[in-house]
This record gives sequence, structure tokens and C-alpha cells, in this order.
Amino acid sequence: MSKVQLNNLKKNYSEVEALKQFTLEIQSGELFTLLGPSGCGKTTLLRTIAGFNKQDSGTIMVDGVEIDNFPAYRRDIGMVFQDYAIFPHMSVEDNIAFGLRNRGVSRHGIKNRVSDALETVQLSGLEKRMPKELSGGQQQRVGLARALVIQPKILLMDEPLSNLDAKLRIELREDIRQIQKDLGTTTIYVTHDQEEALVISDRLCIMRSGQMVQVGTPWEIYKKPADHFVASFVGNMIFLPWPLAGMKDQNSEKIREIESLSGLNINASDHDKFQIGIRPEEVVISNQTSVLDGNVISLSGIVENISFSGREAQLHIKLIDGNMLMANISRPDETFLEEVGKTVYLELPQKAIMFFNKDNGLRC
Amino acid sequence: MKLLQKSLNNIWNFVILFAFVIVGLLLIYPLYNIFLSSFIHNETDSLTLKNYIDILGRSYYRKAIYNSIFVGFSSMAGALLIGVPLAFFTSRFNIKGKSVISTLAILALVSPPFIGAYAWITMLGSNGWLRHGFESLGIPMPTIYGPLGIIIVFSLKLYPFVYLLTSSALSNINSSLEDAAESLGYRPFSKFIHVTLPLILPAISTGALLAFVLSLADFGTPSIIGRNFRVLSTLAYNLFTSEMGGNPGLASTVSIILILVSLFFVYTQRIIIRNKDFGSDMLNPPEIKKLSRLTTIPVHFLCYFIVFLSSLPSLVVIYNSFRKTSGPVFRPGFGLDSYRRVINDVPEAIFNSFVFSISAVILIVLFGTLIGYVVTRKPSILTGTLDSLLMIPYIVPGVVLGLGFIVSFNSNPIVLTGTAIIIILVIFIRRLPYSVRSSASILKQINIGLEEAAISLGAGPAKTFLKVTLPLMLPGVFAGAMMAFITAINELSSSIILYVGGTVTMPVRIYLSVLDGEFGTAASLSTILLAATGVAVYTIIRITDSDEGAFL
Repeated sequence: MSKVQLNNLKKNYSEVEALKQFTLEIQSGELFTLLGPSGCGKTTLLRTIAGFNKQDSGTIMVDGVEIDNFPAYRRDIGMVFQDYAIFPHMSVEDNIAFGLRNRGVSRHGIKNRVSDALETVQLSGLEKRMPKELSGGQQQRVGLARALVIQPKILLMDEPLSNLDAKLRIELREDIRQIQKDLGTTTIYVTHDQEEALVISDRLCIMRSGQMVQVGTPWEIYKKPADHFVASFVGNMIFLPWPLAGMKDQNSEKIREIESLSGLNINASDHDKFQIGIRPEEVVISNQTSVLDGNVISLSGIVENISFSGREAQLHIKLIDGNMLMANISRPDETFLEEVGKTVYLELPQKAIMFFNKDNGLRC
Repeated sequence: MKLLQKSLNNIWNFVILFAFVIVGLLLIYPLYNIFLSSFIHNETDSLTLKNYIDILGRSYYRKAIYNSIFVGFSSMAGALLIGVPLAFFTSRFNIKGKSVISTLAILALVSPPFIGAYAWITMLGSNGWLRHGFESLGIPMPTIYGPLGIIIVFSLKLYPFVYLLTSSALSNINSSLEDAAESLGYRPFSKFIHVTLPLILPAISTGALLAFVLSLADFGTPSIIGRNFRVLSTLAYNLFTSEMGGNPGLASTVSIILILVSLFFVYTQRIIIRNKDFGSDMLNPPEIKKLSRLTTIPVHFLCYFIVFLSSLPSLVVIYNSFRKTSGPVFRPGFGLDSYRRVINDVPEAIFNSFVFSISAVILIVLFGTLIGYVVTRKPSILTGTLDSLLMIPYIVPGVVLGLGFIVSFNSNPIVLTGTAIIIILVIFIRRLPYSVRSSASILKQINIGLEEAAISLGAGPAKTFLKVTLPLMLPGVFAGAMMAFITAINELSSSIILYVGGTVTMPVRIYLSVLDGEFGTAASLSTILLAATGVAVYTIIRITDSDEGAFL
């Protein structure tokens, strides 16, 4: 259980700023995720904490102790790699024992701890197997056991699931979450998969080009995205100009009503500085014009296309001004497949609408 | 279309059949004769074990076995000691001019070892300038003749095998593995011992094996610089060509022992690396680390010193070739005397070398490509057998195959001794496997999906081969041809046995000149050889985009 503090970390890779003045505090025992598109610096940050890169400036503290000058092998971290990094020339047992062997653990102690670790990752009985006899998922479980068996201060996980297929990914991420909770090891987890990040994390940090954009719980990140980037990166969001051209009752009173319900007070001339965003699952579809209600924006559009993913269907609807709006329908019935080309009526609940400043992308 | 397909299959069947004829006639038959002759009494012509009893029983002969193994191991150790650190530094650190280093190493690899032997004699022989230099400084120099000289020449000639194989293995390690070891608390050195080394062991041991087998097989070096230090290859040669009447039986026995020793080490290495080829998915290539200011100079010095030392013989030879001579003696000043002498006295050596090599290369490329194709694309028991049989030349020294050819083609039904054809054929069969293997590896790299795509677009098998497969193979095939040319024009150990006055080649002439003390002639011929070799190396580097693997 260790607390990690990053103060003003900076790292340049020949002209490119990989990390810009990064400051962050990770609480003891939490699973903290770094999430961002590729090239955002998340792996650089993780490898800097691990000691594989050296930052140009700034400090890393673990439990109040500066570790900047510690080489990787003295940092007491466990690391799980995207490509598993299981030593191909060692059996499962030897892989897991590898970190204990140079820590002066007794032969007996090693045996016990290895078998405990294998039990934790549900691989008991595979001690003597060679890595090439294991599936990708099993190899990554060995990787996890090997990192945990040394009881590291911090566990670092670098996209541990991205080489696995979809089903296994879900299975293993739940196991990782459970094991982490049981052991309480402070864990920093890197991924570019937003769904994985939301499911697994206590808190997460959204990164973009070497900078932190937002830190928060999965709920906060999804429901209260800091800006346009977070809103579109985490989950889906449709952005539309404000005020909406297709608003049935496009009068200033209605517009102002929605704005004030959203806590905004915008001059009529400044409207084009804003856009709104809504998540597809919040859009309500109906076959008829709804009652006029202050808390709802009513629109209509023509269904251009339907994509059906089993769990839900997504309607691609063309609005009057030509903008496209997506609406998700859970438990679609067969009649939806006949909607293409037809006019549908839409309701956008005011509570689900987010306003964004077009200039800086910030949510208002 | 069906008919064409069928006739094409017939062509491939014909290739397979013909390949078996070639292998049978030029490889199995000579070796069988050697084997047989090793059991035949020199005087009574009866079957006997006397030859083996003599060789293993008499310390005079037994010493040659020990010497060969000693030289083999020492040269292997030398090659490892030079090759592994060089590979480690160049593949993991930001060494400046890496391509210069690898090119110089490649030049050392392809230049003939007897040139090295000769050059070291002119440097450290009893009259060598380097010896004089050191001794005038009061530093005594041990004699270069004997085992030390052989080992120096072999180590500096054979380390590139270790270097090239090891550095490619080092750059192919997934860096996550090393990171994992470090995160688990391993310091750089123990990380190297526990993770890196086991992973590159197959490559290192293959390089070591090559160094061992090649130093065992080489004839020119121990013969030139070894003086009275007998090894198996020189013993076999001397027993066969002895002026007191050769003893083909004993020479054959020595040959068989030579093959058995090589085989033994080939299998030992196989057992060592069994199940240890771990491949690599190469998600993360290893990071090239920056050397600290303190270490960068010594490391650069070491790397450049190694490749300088290994190219020193070539430089010395080229330098010598432009020195003034009078008769066999060097005089102060520069001139083209040596070249004039070569052109006046031994033009046929130059002519023969080029004609023989080019003829051999044409045969090698033609059959190598075709056999390479059937071995990879028409897998069957037959082609598998063919593939295994083609491993034989890798472990049969040139002297031994030369002896086999003499024994086999000296009398009816096929008489070839004394002809150019026998020299071309021995080069052909010795180098055919390299060409087969290289065209097979080229074919393996050509995605079979490309051929399938062509077929799906309506091209027949013939058109597919001509329009898709062949053009993709051509650069590799051409590089392979250049490589075959290099080995062909530098061939000494088999042609030294097979040549007669009219079929003398440059390497043979160089060898004879060195023995006669005609150092000027040797130097200018060697320079011509080096130039031809250099042009071929340059062509390969251009074609293959400096893929060092083409030289192995």
C-alpha cells in the first residue's frame, strides 16, 4: 500500500514533448488508470515511474521518498507488459520465482509463494508448463503472478489486455480488478480502451499529448467530461450546433429556457460560440410529436441507416439542417428495421445535454 | 491449362530426379569412395582396418587429431571473444558508423583465410616489419608460425559469423523481457546472464559451431602459417600427395575422421540448442542506449580496433602489391612490378579463376534456384531427403571432397582428372547447398498469398511463376549468385588437390607463391582476388539493402 506523487514531471523526446509538467497524486491502494489515445504519453509516464525512462525534470515520490535516482531494479515495482514478457526459456514456476530468487527468499519460501501466486491467478497445476504451451490469457496471468509475488509497492500495468481477444479481455479484467482489490496493491494501469478504463478503475486520468486533461472517478469522467475531447473520447457523443436548426419551436424563449436550466446565460449574439453534445443512449425516439415541455428539445429527422449490434440498434438520423444524430435503442424489435427512410421524432432531455465552448472545447 | 499444369509438374519432377543424379554422382559417390578407400590396404588392396589402427595408434597421426581439435576450439574461443562483445556493443549502443563496422566485418568474412595467413607472415614472420617495429621498442614477439598464427588468423577471419548472428539475435529480443527482469530487481549484468544470454545462445552457438567447423576444414592457413604444426586437413593432403608415394588409404581415413569430428560437434550443438529456439514476436525492439561520456571512447576504440585488425591483412596485402620488387624480394619504393610479373608469368591463373568461377556460378544459380523451389514449394519425402543430403557439403572439408573427386573420376567410367570441368564441378557441388538454402529462404519470405492472389485473378501456374514468383525472387537470387561467386573465386582447399599446370587458379597460385617466397606475386594476385570479392560484396550490399544475413 503505497502512495505515489508525481510533481512537475517533464520528458522530451528529441523536440517532442512526451510529458508536459505532469503533476498527479495516486492514493494508496487505488487502481488508477491512465487513459488516452496512442501517443498521448501514458506509456512514457508509466515507464518513467518504472524507471525505464528518466524524466528531464520533476520528481517521483513513493510514500514520501524520492525515487528519481533509483534505477529500475531498485524501485520495488511489479510490472505487467502488453506482450506478457514471459521468459520463454523458463517454466511457469521459474518465471514466477524469478523475482524472488535474487531477493534472498528461502527455497521453501519461494515454493510456497509461487504456489500461492498461481492460485491467485487461477493457474494452479501449471507450474511445470513452458510459456509456449500456454494461451495468451494464461501467459498474462503468469505475468500478473510474477509481478505480484514480489509484493511490490506499486503494480504497473501497461495495456495488459490489448493483445487478448474480446471475451478473454473481459474475463481477465474482472479478475485483475478482484485480485487488486483483495491485495490492495496500489496499481497504475495504462490502456487506450475507454470501456476497460471505466470498468476497472477507482479513478482515471485522461491524457492528451503529454498533458492531463481530467482526473476523476469513472462516473465523473463519463457524466461530467471536462471538455469536448474527454466527452468524445470516453463513450460516444454527438455534437450539434446551438441553437438547433431543427428545434420545432425555435423561439428565443425556448432556447433561453434550456440554457438557463443548464445554468447558462448566453447573449443571443454569442450563440454560435457554443455547441451541444448528447450521448446516443440519451436520445429518445418516438413516432409522434411529443408534448411541449421545457425540459425536452423536440426534433424530427429522417432515418438514413440502422446498425444493429445485437444488444442494441443505432439509428443514424439526418436532421433538417443536414447534421447527423445517432440514437441508441436498447432491446430493438423487428419493426425498427423498417424505419429506414421514414421520419422519426426525437426528444433530447435537457439534463442530458452538455454545452461546450467552441473556442476552448471546455464544457460549460 | 490442365495440360500445362501437368507438364509443369513433370518439369518439377524432372528437377527432383536430376537433383538426385547430381547429388548421387558428385557427393555420395566420391564420399562413398573415400569411405571405401579408408578400409583398403595400401599395398595388398584388401579390406582392412589397418589404416584406422595406424592413424589412431601412432602418436604422429594422433597428434594431428588433437591439434585440429585444439585449433578448432581455440579459434572458436577467439571468434566468440571478439564477436560477442562487438555484437553487443554495436546492437545495443549508439556506436557511430555501424555500417562501416559491419561492412569491414563482412569483408573479413569473405576474404580468403590464406591471404590472412600470408599477410600475418609479412607482418610478424621472421622478417616481418611489425616484428621489427616491436622488437626495436624492446618488445619481444612470439613466433607467428605454428598454432598461434593459425588461431590468430582463424579468430580474425571467423569472428564475423559470431558477430553477425549474435547481433541479429540481440536486436531481435523483445525488450519487454529485459525490462521485466529489471523490474523484478535484476541488475544489468545479472539481467544479461539470466535473460539475454539464454535467448541469444542458439545464435551464439551456431556462430561458434561455424567457426569450429570452418577452422577444422581449412587447408590454406595451417599449411602456410602452421609450418610443422600438423592438423587433419594438411595431414590428409600430405598423405595423398606425398612425394614418397601417396597413401590414398591413410589420406581417406584421415578424411573420414575429419568428417566424423565435424559431425560430432554439429550434433553436440544441435543437442545444446534443442528446444531453445524461442523466436520473437518483436513487439518492442530493444532500445539503443546512449554511451556515457566516460565509456564512449573506449567502446568505440574497441569496436574499430577489432574491425581494423581483421581488415589489416587485406590492407597489408594491397600495400605489398604496390611495392617495388626485384625477383622475390621487396625493395624500397612503389611500382607495378608485381602486377607486371603476374600478367607476364601467370595470366592463365587469372583467366582460369574467372572462367571457372563464372561457370560454377551459372550452374549453382540455375540448379540452386530450381532445387530451392521444389524443396520449399513441393514438400515430399523425396524433396525432404534431397534437402537433408544437401547438408553434407557443409561438413565435408574441401580437401576431402577434392580427394573424393580424384579417387572417383580418375578411371573409367568417368575420367575428369586434370580437366577444368572437375574443378568447376567440385566448386559447384560444394556451394550448391548455399544457393538452395538462400533461394529456399527467399521463397519462404515471399507470401504464398501473392501466388494465390495471382491465381485467383486468373493467372495459370506458369504465368504465376514467371510474373509473380520469379521477379520477387530475382534480387535474392542475384545476391546469392554474387555470394557463390565470392566463395568460388576464393576456393583453395579442393582445387589445390585437383589442379594441374593448365588449370591453376589464383588461390592456388597465391598458395604456391607464398611457399616459394614470391611475396610480390602473391600480393598482386591477392589484391586482384580482393578486388573481385569487394565488387561482389558491394553489389550484394546494394541489392539487399545491406542485409547482413545474405553473407551467412
